[in-house]
Amino acid sequence: MITSPAHSYAAAARQWFLARENLGALVEAIRGTGRRVIGPTIREGAIVYDEIQTAADLPTGWRDEQAAGRYRLERSTNDRVFGYTVGPTPWKRYTFPPNLTIATAHRSNTFGFDQPVPDAPPLAFLGVRACEIAALAIQDKVFLGGPFTDDDFRARRAAAFIVAVQCTTSSSTCFCTSMETGPEVRGGYDILLTEIDEGFVIQAGSPGGSAIVAGLPTRGLSHAEAGAAIDNVEAVRTQMGKPLPMEGIAERLKLQLDHPRWAEVAERCVECGNCTMSCPTCFCTAVVEKSDLDGKTSSTERQWDTCFDVGFARVAGGDFRARPRDRYRQWLTHKFSTWWDQFGSSGCVGCGRCIAWCPVRIDVRDELAAIAPPIAPIVRPVAVEPVAASPGTYSIARLASVRPETEDTTTLTLTDLNPAFLSGRPGQFVMVALPAFPAVPIGISKLRSNAIDLTVRAVGPTSRALGSLHPGAKVGLRGPLGTFWPIEEAYGRHAVVVAGGVGLSPLHGLVDALVANRDRFESVSLFYGSRTPEDQLYRDDLAAWSASKAIDVAITVDRAGPEWKGRVGVVTTLFDMISWDCSKVTAFVVGPERMMQASVQGLISKGVPTDRIHVSMERHMECGIGLCGHCQMAGRFVCKDGPVFRLNDLGDMFNREGI
Amino acid sequence: MATSARAARPRVAVAKFASCDGCQLTLLDLEDELLEIVSRFDIVEFPEATSRRSPGPYDIVFVEGSISAPEHIDQIKELRKQARVLVTIGACATAGGIQALRNWADHDAYRASVYAHPEWVESLATATAVSEHVKVDAELRGCPIDGGQLTELLTSVLVGRRPQIRDEAVCRECKRRGIVCLVVAAGEACMGPVTTSGCNALCPSYGRGCFGCFGPRTNANAKSWSTGMLRSGRPPEEVWRLFAGFTGYAEPFRTVITELGKTKG
Repeated sequence: MITSPAHSYAAAARQWFLARENLGALVEAIRGTGRRVIGPTIREGAIVYDEIQTAADLPTGWRDEQAAGRYRLERSTNDRVFGYTVGPTPWKRYTFPPNLTIATAHRSNTFGFDQPVPDAPPLAFLGVRACEIAALAIQDKVFLGGPFTDDDFRARRAAAFIVAVQCTTSSSTCFCTSMETGPEVRGGYDILLTEIDEGFVIQAGSPGGSAIVAGLPTRGLSHAEAGAAIDNVEAVRTQMGKPLPMEGIAERLKLQLDHPRWAEVAERCVECGNCTMSCPTCFCTAVVEKSDLDGKTSSTERQWDTCFDVGFARVAGGDFRARPRDRYRQWLTHKFSTWWDQFGSSGCVGCGRCIAWCPVRIDVRDELAAIAPPIAPIVRPVAVEPVAASPGTYSIARLASVRPETEDTTTLTLTDLNPAFLSGRPGQFVMVALPAFPAVPIGISKLRSNAIDLTVRAVGPTSRALGSLHPGAKVGLRGPLGTFWPIEEAYGRHAVVVAGGVGLSPLHGLVDALVANRDRFESVSLFYGSRTPEDQLYRDDLAAWSASKAIDVAITVDRAGPEWKGRVGVVTTLFDMISWDCSKVTAFVVGPERMMQASVQGLISKGVPTDRIHVSMERHMECGIGLCGHCQMAGRFVCKDGPVFRLNDLGDMFNREGI
Repeated sequence: MATSARAARPRVAVAKFASCDGCQLTLLDLEDELLEIVSRFDIVEFPEATSRRSPGPYDIVFVEGSISAPEHIDQIKELRKQARVLVTIGACATAGGIQALRNWADHDAYRASVYAHPEWVESLATATAVSEHVKVDAELRGCPIDGGQLTELLTSVLVGRRPQIRDEAVCRECKRRGIVCLVVAAGEACMGPVTTSGCNALCPSYGRGCFGCFGPRTNANAKSWSTGMLRSGRPPEEVWRLFAGFTGYAEPFRTVITELGKTKG
């Protein structure tokens, strides 16, 4: 009996107390309505779902101990009837039988095909857990939710009376809380039982359930009993097995179709298909034709199939999933990712059967953690409050070291800083001043534990003066100011950094952050172009990045002497090396404005979405806080609203201005 | 109609090499279907059932037994020439059988220890599957073969289609029958995951782990299954014995046995 409106009905249903010795009356009452009762009973060393004649068939006083590839029954210390968790039998056995004749055909005197009329015996499922109710609902979606439906399933589902039982215990293989299917039953039942020390709290969830409950030897429920029922279920929530972090799992898996772990797990996997056969939602089937000797009458026998079967994806000419890793990936990605696309939910309910019944002890939770590791919740950082914001107030810093980068460019390491500067973020800038020199905006090129680096090109009086300072000198700083690179927008994507000339300076800290958090990105790469080899910044860092596996570095120069062995050409020529799906690219671009325009155009033509391109702009800044008015661009102040912008936010102005 | 069907009945021969005759008996054991089978097939050569002998050519030759003696090699080649379709039946014919265990042993020493006059016994140093000597058109696995699969093969010949014999793990049959996994719930040793189905999980249905008599299924991950058992604490001798059963000489079981043999010492 499908009890979809049960939710509201259940909420209003009154709870009663049923003594443990009266559980047999429930079995009797259901059998009295002409139904066979299918419920938990001990057979072959496990609690299976099979026919229950009397309450004596139930596993009173037994509990199970489960782990990956292991299931054992043991005597429990109490006389609970439902003191176990789910066993080897999925309820689909009774709604979606493992063997079914779906058609017959004949060509003796007449020629034709017949579909058998569904033969759905009235059954009652006793002891259905929350995860199992969720699984039945998932198969409802699969078999009944589309334009074509499964008549046999419909009939069996309609003929099933559901007696649900709240879980008051859990196994190491359980993870229903991760899948949000349990532990508490929230609907989808005709009768609901919750076991407490003295017996059961019982309530109806449908008119059919009410009729049964009304005839049972129940009594009113005490406050203590009602409280114990709630506490027992709530306690299970805290005793779950290893959780499965589900946040974004469907997308995370789709990004990892080539992860090396697929091959590793496939070496262990014996492809027996036990996971899929035990799974309460797996629904694939195969058909076998049976006929008499001369083929005059035949029947089409449908059987549970598994995507691990060698013939599952085979056609004339080959197999679409020829390798074990392909088949394992098909199963896991279907269950946890593509099921959403097809049916609007996960295909997993967290019952843990695929873990317990895997003879080589593969735990999907471990595989998912290794293949598509959870990304820590994305915390969007906010800018630290700048110190000495207003023009005229400065925080003093000491110059720790000076390193020449090119003929006219120098990197200064500043220390003895106000801690606010150390909390700056890649992409932000500071206003730097010396007595008698006008303050200039300089991007922070590197954030160290107790210092920051500023790379200064000697183009004006202040920058020339800064470049000629010696260690120990003091400078005035305001900041950190402006917007910063939205690194978290590239999580799970290809992070692409495009730099031209000294434009690498405000990107240096970004590259450091990308490399330090490499696991969060699908790939990290740097495209760097400069006029000549001598104009390159940070040559030691470039060499170290090039040698690192964490980041792919491609370098080009516009022109070079014969000693240059690298590429020659503008930076956009490097884009030929991009082989990824560019819709999954997040790009960060800095350089001379014409170079940025060409780079952005190149990225867009490759398919990078415009809202996934971030640029850092340079304009005349005097105050750095949006008051002096010099740095306006596209209705924004570059100092306050920038310097880092999402390309979309600049609109057409990005291509209009430029030196 | 009946007469013409009779006239067109395929000529069937059943032959044997080194084997126990149990697979041939499966044909005679098809009691419900036997009359219908003989009305549609002309079983002209079947020493186990009749002393009537008929020379080839034959439409179908069922071959039981492994190639174990020098004269077997010529005999199987001759049979192949006489057969339109050659079907090997049983673990001996398809994998070498239990007697293929001698392939890892000292043949002469075994012979000397068993026979008073080993010089009177002519046997090959190895017992091998028929397919190692001639082309085989179809195989029926098992020790003995399954009557249902034999009927299906005969049906497929008459109907004119490929036999619908699934190549899947014995686990699949356990799960469909609702048999509780002996490995997981009882810690039993079982060859089910690497063995091809067809027996309807006969041994597990009696609480015994699968012996692997149907032999390795396609893509059997014997390496993972054997190393997993070793890792869970089973002694190498036990794992060796499990793989070195009726079909141990069939790959990839053969490799597992050979490698375990090295560690067994």
